[in-house]
Amino acid sequence: MKKLVALLFVAVLMVHAAETEVVDAPDFSLQDVDGNPVILDSLLKDGPVFMSFWAIWCKQCIKELDALLPYYDEFNSLGVNLLALSVDKARSIPQVKPFAKSHRWKYVVVLDPDNIMRDLYNVQAMPSSFIINQDKKIVFVHQGYKPGDEKKIIDTMRELFGKGEEP
Amino acid sequence: MKNKHYISLFLFITVILSLPLLVSGKDLRVMGSNRAEYWLFLENKPDSVLTDSNYREHFEDKLKLSAAYGDITLKGVFFIWDPSVFVGKKYGYLDYTALYQKNPVNITYGRYYATMGRGLCLNQYLDEDFRNDNSLLGVKGDIKFFNSTLTALSGRPRNLFFEQNIYKVKNDTVIADQIRGANLETNLIPKTKLAGRYVRINRKNDLTPQAFTELFGGNAGVNYGPFEAYLEYANLLGCVPVFGGRIKGKALYASGSLALSGLGLTVQYMDYDSIDVGGIGYRYNEPPNPIKSGIGVNRGNDEKGFGGSLVVSPFEFITGELNVNRLKTHNRTGQSTSLWRFGTTGVDEQILKIITHPNLQTEFTVSIDRLVKDSIELPVKRKTELKPYVDLSYDFGPFYVEGDYERDMISADTSDYYDQAVSFSIGKPEAFVLTLRYERRNRVPEWLVEKISSETQWPLAQLSLDLTNRHNLRIRVGAEKGGLVCMGGVCRWESPFKGIKIVLTSLF
Repeated sequence: MKKLVALLFVAVLMVHAAETEVVDAPDFSLQDVDGNPVILDSLLKDGPVFMSFWAIWCKQCIKELDALLPYYDEFNSLGVNLLALSVDKARSIPQVKPFAKSHRWKYVVVLDPDNIMRDLYNVQAMPSSFIINQDKKIVFVHQGYKPGDEKKIIDTMRELFGKGEEP
Repeated sequence: MKNKHYISLFLFITVILSLPLLVSGKDLRVMGSNRAEYWLFLENKPDSVLTDSNYREHFEDKLKLSAAYGDITLKGVFFIWDPSVFVGKKYGYLDYTALYQKNPVNITYGRYYATMGRGLCLNQYLDEDFRNDNSLLGVKGDIKFFNSTLTALSGRPRNLFFEQNIYKVKNDTVIADQIRGANLETNLIPKTKLAGRYVRINRKNDLTPQAFTELFGGNAGVNYGPFEAYLEYANLLGCVPVFGGRIKGKALYASGSLALSGLGLTVQYMDYDSIDVGGIGYRYNEPPNPIKSGIGVNRGNDEKGFGGSLVVSPFEFITGELNVNRLKTHNRTGQSTSLWRFGTTGVDEQILKIITHPNLQTEFTVSIDRLVKDSIELPVKRKTELKPYVDLSYDFGPFYVEGDYERDMISADTSDYYDQAVSFSIGKPEAFVLTLRYERRNRVPEWLVEKISSETQWPLAQLSLDLTNRHNLRIRVGAEKGGLVCMGGVCRWESPFKGIKIVLTSLF
């Protein structure tokens, strides 16, 4: 019973800390699957950033990225940088690029085998998505995925960065 | 003392959440997340019913916080695990990391993870979803110059693993082991990556301070348009812990890939001979494993294998995936040096999967997995599993439904049996998913009764609630069958479970 009380206490604290004001996004400097540098500050010069943490073994992550793909061109034309951030370990790296290409993803696929990003952004559940505006603020966070959840992400991006056409 | 961890946890949360009030909020960035988990379950005994004397509790909480100020980031992870009122054994830690990042230098002090190349020489990584946490406590520095990166590190390893409902530091008897290493990676030649590395491991149970283990090697990689090729080689020179005597080991790993729109092909080949450094249940290096279901043989001690993966999506509405993988011991009989001669212990795996979207609302998946394990799940010498699986989901807009069926037909030496499961889910976007699952086994062979349990039915209900975008609550009630679960060559026996699990994840 004491543990249940502890769980409830933690829950209350966490919910209290919920929906906190927007915070600055941590800087990062990683490489994409082609070895090109991906640096947050450079990306933000071109436009806001949407990034989703995924892995080859994560079914829901792949479903989320597949579901967002029809909207890629719309948001890309608005200047949004769309990143698919792979947290696959070193052992799975050879499969990441072929997997992403075979799914026809147009996202910039970034590698994070050492959990640098997962640590910096404190990701606990997969998938987790973040939207960072050009003021370097994290303006949207989403955990997990189920069919239909992509609508919230799309609506948020349209609301923040301009109205696009339906695909 | 009993409540020490709880008091620390609450103080830690309170102090960190108050930080922005103490320091100018404009300059300080505080982020965090929390995962709290509570289980109430029956002891693993056949036909047990819940009474106040045979239930157990499990509580764990992992709080991650980071505060960044200019080029300095401070990270803290507070973990507490309080398993049961009856077992009464607790485990907890407070890890900290300080990072200084200013191009071209990065310095890390505290708890960190490090993988060199594909992990043949050093692979201390975190697999949070599998609860396998292999970290180093010490210092690491990177410097970038002329398209090259030099990394130097020193640290003490801690390999924490969750097995049979227990968290355990697998290298706790040798926690004083020390790892030092350096890695130089260069991109001086366009589209080509070259790297060289050296790792030295001093172990507490080495006979003398001079009796250390060293690993060295390098890799070469070419990335040319859709083609990619990678080759890594490592050598080990070391001493047998406790007893003394020299050990020599070597490892070779090669991979190649082709990535075109709608087509992805990956091939891998590996040959590991006495390259493993570690002990029972832990390794300081962890070479790649081609088996998709994660099963390993002996994690770098005596392994040879290959992997082939082809993903084809000829049209946007259909994707096909074929995997053919093998990992076995070496064939030590005869003098043959053939690449394709394998020993008798190991795993063969074939997977065929097709996903179709006849329209935007429907997804239909069909797959069949075949897995042959030779001398992996002793006392069974050969275990063959054939798993057909079908899944259909339909998105109605305001809600979606999903149903799946799987059958695992198992042949273990002379005993044959099968498990079959059916599940149904209904979900509302941004709100909830309710899943009902029923699994049953047609009969239980004697070896399985001794190894796991005699249970034959596992009903389960799970409700996943999105409290907000940042908070998810998952409640799971019912039974889970347990058994051998593996990821990246690391395996554990999972205890059967009958009870309730509550998980709350929060991001703030």
